Amino acid sequence: MEQPFTLTTEVRDARLIISTSGYVNNVGGEAIANEFQKHYVSGVREVIINLAHSKVVNSVGMSFLIEIIERLSESGGRLIFTNLDPAVEKMLAIMGLFGYAGKEKTVEDALSALSTQS
Amino acid sequence: MTSETISTGQSRTALLLPPAYRNLGKSTSLRELAGRFEAGLRELLGDVQVDLLHRPAVSHAWMNLITGAPADDGSLPDGWNGEACAVRQVGDGQKMHALHRLGDDSELCLIMRRHVTGVDTSESGIDSLRLAVTTFDSAYQALLHRQHEKALAFSLNQRLLQLNSLIETGIEIAALDSAVSPIHLALERAVAMTNASQGVVSLYRDENVIERIAFPGEYRDEGRTPGERCISAEFTFHSVRYLFMLMDKESRAGVTAFEGTDRLLLDALSRQVHASLENRYLLRQSLEKQKMEQDIAVAASIQQRILPSVLPTIDGYDAAGINIPSKSVGGDYYDCFLLQDGRVALVVADVAGKGIPAALLVSSLQAYLTAYLESAMPLVTMAARLNSVIHRASTDDKFITAFIGLLEPQTGILDYVNAGHNVVYCRRTDGTIVELSEGGIPFGMLDLNLPYASGRVTLDRGDRLLLYTDGIPEAHNPVQELYENHSPLQEFVARVVPEKAEVFIRDLIADVKQFTADAPQADDITALYLIRK
Repeated sequence: MEQPFTLTTEVRDARLIISTSGYVNNVGGEAIANEFQKHYVSGVREVIINLAHSKVVNSVGMSFLIEIIERLSESGGRLIFTNLDPAVEKMLAIMGLFGYAGKEKTVEDALSALSTQS
Repeated sequence: MTSETISTGQSRTALLLPPAYRNLGKSTSLRELAGRFEAGLRELLGDVQVDLLHRPAVSHAWMNLITGAPADDGSLPDGWNGEACAVRQVGDGQKMHALHRLGDDSELCLIMRRHVTGVDTSESGIDSLRLAVTTFDSAYQALLHRQHEKALAFSLNQRLLQLNSLIETGIEIAALDSAVSPIHLALERAVAMTNASQGVVSLYRDENVIERIAFPGEYRDEGRTPGERCISAEFTFHSVRYLFMLMDKESRAGVTAFEGTDRLLLDALSRQVHASLENRYLLRQSLEKQKMEQDIAVAASIQQRILPSVLPTIDGYDAAGINIPSKSVGGDYYDCFLLQDGRVALVVADVAGKGIPAALLVSSLQAYLTAYLESAMPLVTMAARLNSVIHRASTDDKFITAFIGLLEPQTGILDYVNAGHNVVYCRRTDGTIVELSEGGIPFGMLDLNLPYASGRVTLDRGDRLLLYTDGIPEAHNPVQELYENHSPLQEFVARVVPEKAEVFIRDLIADVKQFTADAPQADDITALYLIRK
């Protein structure tokens, strides 16, 4: 059974890693956005969202993710999604998010990618 | 509060946009736009204090776009007679209000203060202020347009996503292992596709809930019924009612009403689950049928091996036999074989029922019979033992009717026992028929030590014997008439007396087939014919 939405955050080398668990809907999306905002105002511009334990995302949750992408794009930041369930990956692709955000298999891969691009 | 209308109407003064204004087009929200505008205005006019108030309609409260707090009603202007743009000096010239109806009919109020030198109330100053407000309106319209375009693109992508998800879900449900319920996947997708807060599938049998599956989390809303905030779809399969319900469609602004598309999606997904359950059921049935057919083929093969492929040559006699199985595995058995003491065993048997159990029982009978006949025990003793062992080996509804004859070829003496089988006809050369019926109950019917009787008949030269199963007299034509009623077998035996046994068998089968015509063969047809030459 799907558990209530939770998230954990970690900052490594000024890069924010948000790992979620559960349904990314209005509640989940807002929680991600709030967490992002908290770190964004303190200068974090590189973000990794690890959706390993989120198999379902609805379009309201998606709209929060898009906002994060927009904020980062405006400020020259970057976002990478990791550990995507195939259904979620397809959803993000159809919504056009990978035109503005990256995707990697794991958080470590994402960290490497950000380091390479820096 | 005192106020004076200074000027209304169209702007007459062109003004170059200050650098801060050039970034207005980058704003992604009304508050961001207000912030950029306020900065631009201060850059343009110097040391002024600017407040920007906004309300969606007259009935709404004013909101300060700079602070994000509700505006203090006491400092706000009175009604302004519906003018498109009105600039008023308030009080002693230190404050001016510019009221403007924006392109979407919402209202903007710009409040500008300059405490030391006062605001510029000249015509040029008023025009500048009016132009500034108009600039804000243009930037606001551009923002709304961008937001609308963005929402439209998002909506189109969402429709595409829904369509794709519907197709993908159908494929994934079809590919699921049969041990995995398709309900969970369909429910997850239904919730995600429609932005429902939660979905639940309840399974009812006789109005009682037998299972409930919810996503996400546990079902928290007992007693909800379909309505604006709750949509449903359902189907019934094998007396179980599957009720899909989605609750509380989410939006960024809170809970909103479900749309027609949401109902269509839920309906489509529930139908996919229904189709999946039906397909699984049909597949399971098909596999079971396939397995059964394989078992039947094996059983039929075993049964055919039990039947004699060639009858033995008996000096002074001519024998022929036939077994035509019906589609399913039947329970007929016949045999004619020489015993070590020179006698000939003549056997015809018929198991009640068909299928694998019948075939197994025939196999048991054949094994016991072969062993008992070689032991030379009296026929009645053998019959009693066969009854007992068949009773133990069979279920209550299974038994075997059988005719067992032991012929001494040289004397023509035939000892027999008829265990509830069709009477065997012995045709004398004068055309009379002797019915061989001595015996007892079918083997395996009852194990009560009921005695069996044996009969004896002597076959003279030219006498004939027909052993058969009920597949011949009970053969029926397309209108369900019985062969026995149309053409009594006894009369056929009396009438048809060819020289060769195989000719009799051929003619008998031809007569039966002519009668039954296109009707499917319902039972095995078995016959054994013997002529003493």
